[in-house]
Amino acid sequence: MSMLYVLIPIAMLFVLIAIGIFFWAVKSEQFDDLDRQSVSILFDEDEKPVPNADDNESTPS
Amino acid sequence: MKYPECFHCGEPVLTGSQFTTHINNSDRLMCCPGCQAVSAAILEAGLSNYYKYRTEPGSKQTALVPEELTAYSAFDLPEVQQDFVHSESDVSRVSLSIDGITCAACAWLIEHKLKHVQGITSILVNTTTERALVTWLPAQIKLSEILSQISLIGYQAAPYQVDDQEIQSKQNSRKFLLRLGLAGFATMQVMMFALALYAGYFTELEVEFRDYFRWVSMIFAAPVVFYSAQPFYFSAIRSMFSGRLNMDVSVSIAILGAYIASCIATVNATGEVYFESVSMFTFFLLLGRYFEQNARQKASVSSSNLHKLVPLTAHLLSNDTCEEVPAKGLKLGDIILVKPGEVVAADGTIIEGCSSFNEAMLTGEQTPVQKSDAGEVYAGTINVEQPVKVKITAIGQDQLVAEIIRLQESASNNKPKVALYVDTISNYFTWAILSIALLTYIVWKIYWPEDAFWVTLAVLVATCPCALALATPTAVTCATGIFTRIGIIARKPGVFEKLTKINHVVFDKTGTLTCGTLTITDIELYGQLGKSEVLEVAAALEVSSLHPIARAFEPYNNPQLIVSQIQSFVGLGLSGQINNINYRIGSDEFIEVTGDQSQSVYLSQGDELLARFTLVDEIRVDAKKTVETLTQQGCKVSVASGDGSIHVDEVASRIGISDIHKGLKPQDKLSLIQKLQKNASIAMFGDGINDAPVLAGANLSVAMGSGSAITKNSADLILLGDHLSRFNDAVTVARLTDRIIKQNLYWALGYNLFIIPLAVTGHVAPYIAALGMSVSSLIVVGNSLRLLRVRL
Repeated sequence: MSMLYVLIPIAMLFVLIAIGIFFWAVKSEQFDDLDRQSVSILFDEDEKPVPNADDNESTPS
Repeated sequence: MKYPECFHCGEPVLTGSQFTTHINNSDRLMCCPGCQAVSAAILEAGLSNYYKYRTEPGSKQTALVPEELTAYSAFDLPEVQQDFVHSESDVSRVSLSIDGITCAACAWLIEHKLKHVQGITSILVNTTTERALVTWLPAQIKLSEILSQISLIGYQAAPYQVDDQEIQSKQNSRKFLLRLGLAGFATMQVMMFALALYAGYFTELEVEFRDYFRWVSMIFAAPVVFYSAQPFYFSAIRSMFSGRLNMDVSVSIAILGAYIASCIATVNATGEVYFESVSMFTFFLLLGRYFEQNARQKASVSSSNLHKLVPLTAHLLSNDTCEEVPAKGLKLGDIILVKPGEVVAADGTIIEGCSSFNEAMLTGEQTPVQKSDAGEVYAGTINVEQPVKVKITAIGQDQLVAEIIRLQESASNNKPKVALYVDTISNYFTWAILSIALLTYIVWKIYWPEDAFWVTLAVLVATCPCALALATPTAVTCATGIFTRIGIIARKPGVFEKLTKINHVVFDKTGTLTCGTLTITDIELYGQLGKSEVLEVAAALEVSSLHPIARAFEPYNNPQLIVSQIQSFVGLGLSGQINNINYRIGSDEFIEVTGDQSQSVYLSQGDELLARFTLVDEIRVDAKKTVETLTQQGCKVSVASGDGSIHVDEVASRIGISDIHKGLKPQDKLSLIQKLQKNASIAMFGDGINDAPVLAGANLSVAMGSGSAITKNSADLILLGDHLSRFNDAVTVARLTDRIIKQNLYWALGYNLFIIPLAVTGHVAPYIAALGMSVSSLIVVGNSLRLLRVRL
C-alpha cells in the first residue's frame, strides 16, 4: 500500500499534463470550428490537377 | 411532372438543357446561368473535387448583376476600409462573413480557390461561424478583387458589423470551455478518491490512507473552487448588490462553505469532507452554463453575419469634377450626383433632373415616387430612373432615418418587461434555503452544539439548487438548437416564455405577408406575337432598368435580343429598338390606351398594342396557412401597413385577415401597438426600416431575414429564409419548452423538499448528498434532451 505515496503523485502529474494540453488546444483555437476540422482529412489534395495559379490571375474581376 | 435537379444547387431545372456544365466526364444540367457560371469557374480553378466532397447542395445562384460588381469598388476607399480592415506594415487583414456556405466542402473550395490568387497571403474559412479571415498584400491585390473572386465561385462575401455582444460572448465561451474542462478533469480524479472514501464507510479504511486521500482530493478540488466556479461568485455578488437574490447565491455559499469546511476537516482529521460534491456540482452547473453560452454565441454570430457593412458612397460634385467619397464625409450644402441604381447618401433637395425614387425602406410602399426640381429625397432611398443632382440639407442625426432610429430606441425602453418565473422562483428559493439553514444551525446549537456546524453544512450542500439551476438553461439550449435547425435565430433571452403568451399577432404587409417583389401573374395578348415572344421583348427592353417592375421580367431575358436606342421616360416607361422595330413599354398613359388598373404594364410595337402584363406583389405561399393556424390557436391577427392603397385590403382578404390598419407612418404603427398592448400580448412581424420602432415596442418582435439591418437589430426573432410558417413551429417548440421547464422545476423543487427534512435532522451522509444531487441533475438534463427529438 505504501506504493500509493509514489503512484498518486505520478498520476497527478499526468493529470496536470493533460490539463496543460487541453488549455493549449483551446487557446490555439482548435475548438472554434468543430464541423470543419473533423472532415478536412477526407479532402485529399493529391488528385487536384496542378495549381492553376495562372488561370486565377487571368480571371476577370 | 418531375423536373430534373440542378447539379449545382439541387433546385428543379425548369429550363430544359439550356444550361449545362461538363463535370467529371458528363454534362450536368444547371437551372440558371448563375449556377452554370459558378460551376464553370469551379472547374476552371481545378477544384471539381468540391462536387465529390460536398454533403449538401450549393446555394442557388442569382445571376450577377453589374450593379453588384460596381458596389465592390466602394470597399477600396481608404475611409471605408478603416472601419473593418486591420493593417500591419504591408499586410492587411479582414474578417468577412460569407453567404452560401452549406458544408465543409464549401470551406475547402473557397480556401483552395483563393490560396493561389496572387497577393493573398492566407485565408482561413470557419464553417461554424460562416466567416473567412483573409490577409493580403494591398500592393498586389485590392479588396474588391478578393470579394469578386469569392463571388465567382458562388459565395457572397462582405465585411460585417460585429455585435458588441458577440465579442464579449466569444471570450466568455472560451473561458467557459477552459473552466469546464478543468472542472471535468479534476472531478474525475476527486470522484476516484471519493469512491475509496465511500468504501471506507462500509469496510475498514486505515486512518492514514483516509487522510492521505482527503489531502489529494483537497488539492484537486482547489482549482475547481478557485478558478472554475468564479462566474458563480461574481454573479452572486452582483445579485446581492441589486437586492434580488438569485440561485448563484446559494450555489456560492454551498461551494465555498463546503470546501472550506472540508479543508478544516482534512487538516484536523475529523468530520466529513465534501470535495466530490463540490467538484461535481461545479462541473454540472458549468456544463449547463456552457451550453447556454454556446447557444447564445451562435445566435449573436448569425445576427452579426446578417449585419453586412455596405459602404454608402456618394459622387461629390465640386468645380465640375466628380469624385467618389464616403457618405459620412458629406457636409451640408454639398452637391452630389445620384446615378440610377444608387442609394441616396443623405437627405437633400433635387436641384437638377427628375427621377423616381424607391422609398420602400422608409414607407413600405413598393411603387417608386416621382420627384423633380425642389423635391425632397431621403437618405437610404434608391434612385431608379435618371441621374439627378441633389443638394444636401441634412446629415447625421437630423436625417429622417435617424429620427426613426430614435423612435426605435425610445420604444425599446418602454417595452413591457416580462418577469421570468425562474428568476422569481430562485429569489424565494434562496431566501427559504438560507433561513432554513440558519434555523437548523440555531436549533442544533441549542440542543447538540457539537454537530451544529456539520448538519448545517449538510443542509446547504444537499439543497444546493443544482437541478434547479440546470432546469431552464438545458431546456432553452435544446430549444435554441431546434430553432437554429428550422431557420430561426433567437436573439434575446426570454423569447420562449414570451412566445407562449402571445395572443395577438400583427403583420406588416409589404415584404412580410407578401414577397416584396412584383411578379407577372397575367398576360393579355392583342397582337400576333405569342406569350413567350412578348415576354422576351419586354424583358429585353427592361434589362437595363432598375424599376421594381423590371425585375419581374428578369427570368424571361433572352441574351440574343439586342436592344438599341433605349430611352427612359420618368414615371412612364421605356422605348427602344429591337431588329429595327420600335417598341414601347410602360404605363397606360405612356402607351396611350385607357387602362383600368394601376398595376398593369403595356407593350406596344409602333402604334399597335401587343400585350398587357398584370403585376402583383405576390403573397408568400405559407402566409395563409400561418394565419389560419394562428387563428385556430386563438390568436387575433391584424395587418398594419404603411401602404394606404386598396391593395392592402386585397391582400388581407385573400389571406383571411379582417382587422386592417393602413396608411400608417412608423409612429402611427407604434401607437397602434401600444393601444393594443393594453389588452393583449403582441407579436409584431416586419421587415423595413419603417417597422423598426414598432418592432422595438412590441412584446415579441419577428424580423424577416431579408429585412434591413436596423429592423433586425430590434427583433427578438429573425426568420431566415422568410418562411412565415416557421413561426407556428416556433410557437409549438416554445410551448413544449415551457412544459419541459416546468417539469424540470417541479422535479428539482420536489427533490429539495424531500431532502431538506432529512438534512435538517442530520440523516444525510456526504455520499448521499453527492449521489442525490448528481441523479437529480442527470434527470433534469435527460428530460431537457427529450426536446431534441421533436420533429417538425
